[in-house]
Amino acid sequence: MLLTLAGERRVLFVGGKGGVGKTSVASALALARARNGGRVLLVSTDPAHNLGHIWDMTLSDSAARVFTAFNGYVDAVEIDPHTTIERHFTAVSATMMKLLPERLHRSAKQHLELAKTAPGSHESAVLERIAELIDHGLDTYDLVLFDTAPSGHTLHLLTLPKMLTGWTESLLASRSRSDRFAAAARGIVGGEDQEAAADSELRRTLIARRDRFARMRQTITDSTTTGFVIVTLAEKMPVAESLDIVRQLRGLGIDVSSIVINRRSPDDAGSFLAARRKGEDACLQTLREHLDTVPLIELPLLVRDMTGEDALEELAALLGER
Amino acid sequence: MRRWSAFQAGLHEFYVGPYRQMFKREKQDEDDLFMIAVLGEALGVPDPAAYYTAELLPAVWENFHAWHRRIGIPRSPLDHIGCC
Repeated sequence: MLLTLAGERRVLFVGGKGGVGKTSVASALALARARNGGRVLLVSTDPAHNLGHIWDMTLSDSAARVFTAFNGYVDAVEIDPHTTIERHFTAVSATMMKLLPERLHRSAKQHLELAKTAPGSHESAVLERIAELIDHGLDTYDLVLFDTAPSGHTLHLLTLPKMLTGWTESLLASRSRSDRFAAAARGIVGGEDQEAAADSELRRTLIARRDRFARMRQTITDSTTTGFVIVTLAEKMPVAESLDIVRQLRGLGIDVSSIVINRRSPDDAGSFLAARRKGEDACLQTLREHLDTVPLIELPLLVRDMTGEDALEELAALLGER
Repeated sequence: MRRWSAFQAGLHEFYVGPYRQMFKREKQDEDDLFMIAVLGEALGVPDPAAYYTAELLPAVWENFHAWHRRIGIPRSPLDHIGCC
């Protein structure tokens, strides 16, 4: 079921409340897809990465191979916003130095140093890297699988493309008005426009930016390409939060493709766990009532800790069955 | 003949000048607003897109001095930009 989904879509986000097993499910799914001959790019967007712990490897911002099967493989990335921020501001700085006279260089550099630490920069850099990895991943991989941070952070991140498209649109509109006034002033009495060069530079930057956001938005809201898998436990709070995520994702136009109920207690391993299972059943009932169209996939509670390839193989085998 | 054309130009300016000024002022207002949008974070207005506005700095930087003079701040309002 989940594996079929991973075979059909090109981009999958795995998300949910903290501590429900997002990383394990995402990793097992990546492994299962690779076993089926898929080339998978597995990306962690969580600032507190633990993808590396699961695979027993030190990962970084550039892709590293963590698993190879007969035909397929898994490459993993832990997004490091600082790397992206550095790269971005180095590029901006280079443009500035090219356009500005020598005497302004020092203050321009200082200003950029300050902009680096602006509150939103971190988040924007993560978004930027996600957009980059989606673009790159659609070209060279069969599946780009995002292991996301706990829901609040991720949902906010996914609203950014829409918000920023609006933001660039309004700045572009401001440039157009400015241009029209300039043209009107020129039209009345000739005269040339010295600011034209700087202005076309502005416009180019803004348009490139807007197109990038628009492209990302289009990709993540296209339900034939992208899906969101919510991982949850059959407990009251994670279920409530999952329902909230579904509502918000639908508001954003993102397809909620399935819900994974992780760590279901067995009913044949003592009265303690059987009693727990009863409680879980009640929670699942709530979930089913609210979401009759989204497939629910249950995964059992496993004995071992979810680290290392063996554990992932076990979980991946279970994913294949369901 | 020369004086006639100079007179014509003057007459043209007399009628048309005020409108040109109006359009120029409108453009200036629009540009000033743009400058605030781009420098927002540095001026103390939280800017969720500061990361991206930085990209636009190169194009407005040179107008910064003229801008802060125009909006009635005689000295640079940003400590690290010592344009005057």
